[in-house]
Amino acid sequence: MQDRLHDIVRKLLGEGTIEYFIGYGAGSEPHRVVPCFVTSDHEVERLVWGPLCLQNLSKYVLQAKDLEGKAGVLVKGCDTRAIVELLKQHQIEREEVVVIGVACQGQVDPRTLEEVLGVPMEQVQGVEDAGDQFVVTIGEDERTVAKEQVLLGKCLYCRHPSAFEYDFTLGEIVPFSIDAGESEFAMVEELERLSVEERRAFWQKQFARCIRCNACREVCYACYCKECIFDRKMPRWLDKPPLLSENEIYHLIRAVHLAGRCIDCRECERVCPMNLPLSRLYKKVQKDIAELFDYEAGIELDEVPPLVSFELDDQDPFM
Amino acid sequence: MERKKLQKSDLSRWLDRIAQEHELIGPSEDDGVIRFQPVESSAEIAVEFANSLIPPKSLFFPAVESLFSFHKRGKDIELEATEPLDRDRVVFGIRNCDVQSLSLLDYVFGQDLEDVYYQERRARTALIALACPTPPRSSCFCTTFGIDPLSSDGSDVLLTDVGDVYLVDVVTEKGEGLVSLAEDLFPGLTDDEARQLQPRPVEMKKVDISQLREKVEALWEDEYWHKMSLPCLGCGICTYVCPTCHCFDIVDVGSTLEGERYRCWDSCMYSDFALMASGENPRPTKRERIRNRYFHKFSTFPSRYGSGYACVGCARCLIHCPGGMEITEVIKDILAKESISE
Amino acid sequence: MAVEGSETGGNGFEPKILMFACNWCSYAGADLAGVSRLQMPANCRVIRVMCSARVRPEFVITALSKGLDGVVVLGCHPGDCHYSEGNYFTRRRGLFLKKLLEYVGIEPERFQVRWVSASEGAKFADTVAEVTRQVKALGPNRPRRNAQ
Ligand code: SF4
Ligand code: SF4
Ligand code: SF4
Ligand code: SF4
Ligand code: SF4
Ligand code: FES
Repeated sequence: MQDRLHDIVRKLLGEGTIEYFIGYGAGSEPHRVVPCFVTSDHEVERLVWGPLCLQNLSKYVLQAKDLEGKAGVLVKGCDTRAIVELLKQHQIEREEVVVIGVACQGQVDPRTLEEVLGVPMEQVQGVEDAGDQFVVTIGEDERTVAKEQVLLGKCLYCRHPSAFEYDFTLGEIVPFSIDAGESEFAMVEELERLSVEERRAFWQKQFARCIRCNACREVCYACYCKECIFDRKMPRWLDKPPLLSENEIYHLIRAVHLAGRCIDCRECERVCPMNLPLSRLYKKVQKDIAELFDYEAGIELDEVPPLVSFELDDQDPFM
Repeated sequence: MERKKLQKSDLSRWLDRIAQEHELIGPSEDDGVIRFQPVESSAEIAVEFANSLIPPKSLFFPAVESLFSFHKRGKDIELEATEPLDRDRVVFGIRNCDVQSLSLLDYVFGQDLEDVYYQERRARTALIALACPTPPRSSCFCTTFGIDPLSSDGSDVLLTDVGDVYLVDVVTEKGEGLVSLAEDLFPGLTDDEARQLQPRPVEMKKVDISQLREKVEALWEDEYWHKMSLPCLGCGICTYVCPTCHCFDIVDVGSTLEGERYRCWDSCMYSDFALMASGENPRPTKRERIRNRYFHKFSTFPSRYGSGYACVGCARCLIHCPGGMEITEVIKDILAKESISE
Repeated sequence: MAVEGSETGGNGFEPKILMFACNWCSYAGADLAGVSRLQMPANCRVIRVMCSARVRPEFVITALSKGLDGVVVLGCHPGDCHYSEGNYFTRRRGLFLKKLLEYVGIEPERFQVRWVSASEGAKFADTVAEVTRQVKALGPNRPRRNAQ
């Protein structure tokens, strides 16, 4: 697959179809795969594809709008949902970007892998896909681990592992699914069963830990506002010091802004240096939007987002 | 300097003894994140750790701190200063890169203007350093910046793990005071022991950076910054986890009648960091912002304070950057550039 | 507007409640309650907005996070919005926001949406009384929050 990727990108660059390609590249250590911008032929070899390609590169398509020409991008199935939403939200034009879609077979959660193997990631030389398991190279050893043990949380429930909006694919679309054993919303339901005081205690503790580095916002495909509400000076919505009240405002407003737009990529949670359980917040957003308005973001291009529309017979508890 | 030893099994007794006298702070894990925080007892301290996520600079220059509060009564405004500390503190487990980062911050908060909040915290805090495990974590590159992970320079006491015991280097008077709290736990070394109990040397990839400043300064206008900044997302992680980054903002929170003045971390990677009231932004794109960060580390800081580089090689930014920006690679790239004069 | 302040439920706690009322129905309803000299507790601070849809969820979140004890949004009955459809959006937002706030530990009584028409002075007064009673029973929203 990697060879085919290299071939396509070489061709796109060679023909001048794209100015740069946004893919995954090897970092300075083997366990680290980083976003990689390729502008010329000799860099193409740096591109990799495998089970450590975690980032949702769709975010970078937004900045490619500044280019005179086009950019190319590699997307997994889940990342495609961001492309669909960006089109739907009129942030990009379909012809501005060349999409290479891949049939993802699940991505590894490094934090979980460390726990399961009892080995820090820095000793991991590589992870290979092998059907329903991963083969992990550690020094001279190869260890296998069952996929469902170490997949990213989102992969366990993935319904769209293969890209579904693309110009090229990397080979056959291979189906992939895992029986996660419980509902994708189990982590939300668990909190919903608690009392309101317990839920408050849970979230206040988490919000208090946030250092407001803004990484969750910056990594989110949907946070493309020219001037984010949190950065506005006049009127000022949010005070900069990471006090509990301000952190709570930050997270709740962001959750509201993501209502009907969150595509469950869980990039926010993955990059959070403080390990905040943000997917528990955003899964809730998705769950309510699905239950109240029967809507899922990032699937259908022509479906109208739920909070910019209404039905006359929406439920009405406010009489 | 005096060298003693401490049985590993006695460490917790010593720390608990310290906790009776002072506020004890150590690396402790909370929701999967290790950070330096006050602990009730040694049981909460993580001894086996590579390094904390949030650097211990937060103990001296907190992410958010109240400077004073204000109340308006009639025409009068009452100010009440916030006391930075209520008692003396002891920090256990600090790594030498972070100790060295404090000597860099000392320039910022002490050279031209004395920052009383920072200074008081520094003066009233003792540092018990813990030499890094050998081998240290693979990303670390402190030796590149001339920092020895086994050195006691800048700390009050240094503990070095040599198997069943720690070697204990008592560096300062403050350190002596701490050791004397449980004198019987710290026998001296016999001559044999002094010979045998030696820390294992550290092997780390090291880059020659003697030309770094000159090379980076020649690159101001280079196209390099544009391309390398493409993956950057403009979050604040690299600056917030960096032990030497020290930008802050000062903000009044409250109303015109009462409120508090806070100082909090800020980041030069934010798009509005250099934004002026006129609407002009001298660092309008990621290219200028990221260039600023590296320039500050490798050129502006050393030239302003006559110090070394403002990076201690802790690798935190490299490990946590969501855009995959690796400072080690940036350094290599900079060094690989032909300097303009050549 | 007539004010009745003594019905405090005994605990002495007087909540601060923010009430948004749309100009065309609910604010007129409030006026009617006033001129009819209906008795109401004085805990609700009313802010007039042109339409209930003007009330961004951000207003509600900020008010509650900064320590107000309750927020009420009042609008025209569905079908009656002066701008035809504003309150249909309010309704969807309200449905969603209520669930989100509950999920993070804010009691449902602290955020309410009600439809009050210009002729419903009594409903306005009842709403004020009821919400005040509910919020009073819950106690203060939360202690004023300081640095972590
Ligand atoms: S990434 Fe984490 S620490 Fe940073 S602002 Fe978001 S939740 Fe807070
Ligand atoms: S948080 Fe809201 S305002 Fe800010 S960038 Fe995201 S969507 Fe835009
Ligand atoms: S909020 Fe988080 S999970 Fe949702 S789209 Fe943004 S980054 Fe992805
Ligand atoms: S270099 Fe990395 S950590 Fe720093 S702002 Fe850019 S993306 Fe964030
Ligand atoms: S390695 Fe990165 S985080 Fe550490 S001191 Fe250097 S710049 Fe700062
Ligand atoms: S005008 Fe009353 S709700 Fe729109």
